[in-house]
Amino acid sequence: MIEPATPKSWYLPSKPHKFCPGCGHGIVLKALGEVIDEMEIQDKLIFGCDIGCSLLSWNFFACDTTQTHHGRTTPVMVGIKRSRPELVCVGYMGDGGGYSIGSQHLVNSAVRNEKVTLILVNNTNYGMTGGQMAPTTLPGQKTETTPYGRDVEQTGYPTKGPEFIAALTSDNAYVARATVSKYKQLKRFIKNALRNQIEGNGFSFVEVLSTCPTNWRTNAKQTWSFLEDQMEQYYPVGELKNPFGKGDK
Amino acid sequence: MTRTTVYGGVLIFSNHAARIIEAYVGEYASGKSELSINRALELKARGHRVTIVDLDTVEPFYTLRPISKSLEEKGLKVISQTQEDSFGLGETGAMLNPRARWALMNEGDIIMDIGYGVNGARTLNLVEGAYESEELQIMAVVNYTRPMTNSLERIKEYLISLGRVDAVVANTHLAEQTTTELIVLGNNQIIRAAAELDIPVAYAAVDRRWQDPKLEQQIDVPVKYIDRYMPAAMW
Amino acid sequence: MQKVIGEQKKAFMTGNETAAWAALAAGAEMMFGYPITPQNEIMHYWTRLAPKYGRGFLQTEDEISAGFTVCGSVQSGKKAFTATAGPGNVLMQEPFGMAEGMRLPLVAVIQQRGGPSSGTVVYSQQEVGLTTYGGNGEGFRIVYSTATHQEIYDYVIKGFNTAWKYRFPVFILGDGYQAKMREPLEMYNPEDRGIEMVPTYPLLGLGGKIGQDREPAHLCNIYSLEEELNEVVLKFAAEYEAISPELVEYEERMCEDADIIILSHGVVSRAADDAVKELRAQGIKAGYFRPITLRPFPEKQLREAIRKSGASKLLVAESAYGQLYRLTRQEIYGETIDMETLFMPAVGIIDFDIIQKVKSIL
Repeated sequence: MIEPATPKSWYLPSKPHKFCPGCGHGIVLKALGEVIDEMEIQDKLIFGCDIGCSLLSWNFFACDTTQTHHGRTTPVMVGIKRSRPELVCVGYMGDGGGYSIGSQHLVNSAVRNEKVTLILVNNTNYGMTGGQMAPTTLPGQKTETTPYGRDVEQTGYPTKGPEFIAALTSDNAYVARATVSKYKQLKRFIKNALRNQIEGNGFSFVEVLSTCPTNWRTNAKQTWSFLEDQMEQYYPVGELKNPFGKGDK
Repeated sequence: MTRTTVYGGVLIFSNHAARIIEAYVGEYASGKSELSINRALELKARGHRVTIVDLDTVEPFYTLRPISKSLEEKGLKVISQTQEDSFGLGETGAMLNPRARWALMNEGDIIMDIGYGVNGARTLNLVEGAYESEELQIMAVVNYTRPMTNSLERIKEYLISLGRVDAVVANTHLAEQTTTELIVLGNNQIIRAAAELDIPVAYAAVDRRWQDPKLEQQIDVPVKYIDRYMPAAMW
Repeated sequence: MQKVIGEQKKAFMTGNETAAWAALAAGAEMMFGYPITPQNEIMHYWTRLAPKYGRGFLQTEDEISAGFTVCGSVQSGKKAFTATAGPGNVLMQEPFGMAEGMRLPLVAVIQQRGGPSSGTVVYSQQEVGLTTYGGNGEGFRIVYSTATHQEIYDYVIKGFNTAWKYRFPVFILGDGYQAKMREPLEMYNPEDRGIEMVPTYPLLGLGGKIGQDREPAHLCNIYSLEEELNEVVLKFAAEYEAISPELVEYEERMCEDADIIILSHGVVSRAADDAVKELRAQGIKAGYFRPITLRPFPEKQLREAIRKSGASKLLVAESAYGQLYRLTRQEIYGETIDMETLFMPAVGIIDFDIIQKVKSIL
């Protein structure tokens, strides 16, 4: 039987993985896995995951991993990095864990220029708990806690994370927003983020626009359309802060 | 394929398609899973090949998952997340078995248990080819004792909110406190609501415990007696 | 007050929905919450119903915020509540502490899940310690432990009245099984049963012209001197002890001549009830005692049951590793009855489990 080519840093006994069909997490984790292989950091990589769909990545990599509490992946990674700077710490979370309950940790780690890499997967809802509103839910979008559509008067406008993070960070931080619809760019951004940590420059943060057909209740065509025609229009893709050179769009 | 006949002013729906593809939608705890199982077993008893698909992506508990094995032993093919799949993961919420996406590729009849959720029947978008299928029938299950559907107006409001509904299944009950009077009263209200919206009614589902020919006389649609399988799905 | 329950009163519902409908019927005006399994449907139903009845809702950034927004809301004079579970309950101890310290009529529904940490999303009785004595206070809280959906409905309504009458935070303690199980119950408008809802009143935004009609309200929860705080705590303690007799609720069956009393709370008491009936049928003299209020605990009533029965053993059965046991022990200190335990942390207990245990110790 032909086995698909998978990154060496992937943990094969946990495959096929448990993410839903059409979920963007698989794409992000593949890109991350390939970058780990190319940079040869598997043995010193520490992977932290949150509660939510990111939880399904807890045994995804053949790397040392810890599951944390909802919204607390960032401080746990900070604790590890500050204690063992030679390790490469990657925190993986969703839009709820990152911009909602975890926002104060994100903000403070950015301000302190913590040398960790945070990857935040944005699919505009709280997926694992059944599809509640998230900070990145788009205006008018229906979720289980906005059954009549997100009302921006009541709940504010969707959170533009990389934008506010970029405003808080120092010049040697790396901040970007990628999308699962542009794989090569996604990989490049993740690589730059990790490079920023490994070279000892500072904080690195990548938001990735991702798909959730299960909670969006969309077929393949509608899923890509929501991602490319709506999310990518609202959330601009690109590098907001790049110490290695000019911003790459 | 499907036939609607008028009986005493009520549109009765019956499915005579060569291949039965039915999606059960409805309010939270309206009885979708129970009726899906009964329908699947009914078709199996007629000699059909039947696949039952668990498409509940909001409610992590009261789903087909825990009883998949016993349903498989009865000869059904079951597509759902199993306890083993979700073991060790903590949150057992919105997860979908990839096989559910391709459910229609299975031979034979397909019965889909669509969970609740603000998007109602749109969950069918997750099943490749579902909406395009000519054989797809969307069956809305209504229990008159559920607060969101406990009056004529509320039932109508709810049915309208679902979008496309091919037939209604009346499933009024109050668990062990059910009475014949309640079954008749509740189901007749549901039938009336469906009639006012020109939606055919397939049948009234009644727990076999309450079997009573008098009941059948007082309800204007066929009565189907059902067995309970879901209680085994919870602790 | 607005009547929300229509003509069809008996309903088939899940525990979570029941909590949402009861809050609506009780006249709750605001709900603040954050997603956590297994209580999400309380929010799902509230957000669907709220606009139809002119009530408010906010999904906050986390549970700490949900608790503090409720504190603010009740300070402004609105009937507000929240719901949570597990790690969310842990986070809410900070705002619950403020409610204790400032005597705020906060109401919270807790649907216990496995612990510690993220545990499971399913069920347990492992938040007893947290809900009764969490935070950095003295446990001046009222905790109702429900066992049926009818009780969830009844005690959510009662909970609002208890909170607004006595101004201690009130908790309705359920669990993941109750949250998801389906049962019939009867919904009602409080006034149709002669239940008068205690009126709300603001602690801030009191109206009128300051300096002319009234002085400004200055509320605090911190004091400069130890003696000040000592006085405050003792005053709260005195009030709490004075109202405890009228607040205490419990259920007791067949303790008059019991050799062994089975003590349990919440959903486990249903199994205990079945177990006691079965044991009696088999000639074993078992008795049943169930605290409904875990705070204040029916200590006098339990001591009395022990005394009059002459029972030699007290079996504490819980889906935790000793939380009800420790609470009970501390409340009935001095009793010489043998205390036995059936600890089944994070799993459900059925009558068979209790019967087996009783037989093994008698």
